[in-house]
Amino acid sequence: MDKLAKQLRADAERIDVSVSDELDRRIDASLRAVTPEAEARRPAPIARPPLFWWASTITGIAAAIAVIAIVNLRAPERQDIPPVDLVATVPPIDLKAETAMLTAPLQEELDRLQSDLKKAEEKVKKDIGL
Amino acid sequence: MTDELKLIAAAKAGSADAFADLVRGYRERLLRFLLTRSPSYADAEDVLQDTLINAFRYLHSYDSRWRFSTWLYRIAIRNAAKLRSPDLADVAIVGDLRDEENDPLQQCIVDSESDNLWLSAREVLNDEVYAAMWLRYAEDMSVKDIAKALDRSTSWAKVNLMRGRRVLETHMNDAADKSEAYG
Repeated sequence: MDKLAKQLRADAERIDVSVSDELDRRIDASLRAVTPEAEARRPAPIARPPLFWWASTITGIAAAIAVIAIVNLRAPERQDIPPVDLVATVPPIDLKAETAMLTAPLQEELDRLQSDLKKAEEKVKKDIGL
Repeated sequence: MTDELKLIAAAKAGSADAFADLVRGYRERLLRFLLTRSPSYADAEDVLQDTLINAFRYLHSYDSRWRFSTWLYRIAIRNAAKLRSPDLADVAIVGDLRDEENDPLQQCIVDSESDNLWLSAREVLNDEVYAAMWLRYAEDMSVKDIAKALDRSTSWAKVNLMRGRRVLETHMNDAADKSEAYG
């Protein structure tokens, strides 16, 4: 204990007080006149049997099933929609013409190459005497 | 079960005798503390009486995790605060209400010729810090209990005990310097 703490302790003890007989009697009389307030008791929790748990579970499941059933029953009936002929509905596109237009130069080139190849083949045959 | 717990149980059951036995050892300690916060000895006695009555009336709310003395001091501090009537709301500290010549604390100090630090503390500390210092150094209460008694946080109690100490140490040093200067 440090110096200040010791000084404070000693100085507190130097304060001389005593409960007088008169005060003692007053306190005693007041205490006897007082009725302590009763503790506000909480109601004891009710112990629920296991059956309660099962009952609540089953009720919950039944309620869920009922909700699903109601939602499905109220849904509008589906009407049969005839299949759509996509080929008939889509306008024909002249793909062939377009392809021909795009590939014509290549085809001509191929024909020329094949002709050159054929000529070269005949020339080789003539040279070797076949 | 300790004797105190047995008495508490009996008092909770409504025994005024058990309660009187329970608080017998605390009455003078409480009165000494209340005297430092009251304008007169009679006021301190009245607050003590009210404190004990309230404690008995509401004993059912006592939580045995607390020290009984901490709970009693908490009630005493609240009752002492009621000494400040609404008409005196502007009065900062109880000390202002005291008649300097009839200061009950001054009158109760044995060997009053030498300086008593609690008198000085009352002048330089505010009410709450003074109470915290009293509970710590006169009642040897833990910081945690002080915080509970004053309805404050533990950190508040720590900080203010430190501040109170610093102020009092400065005061002690100043007083020592003065006495040296005057020979």
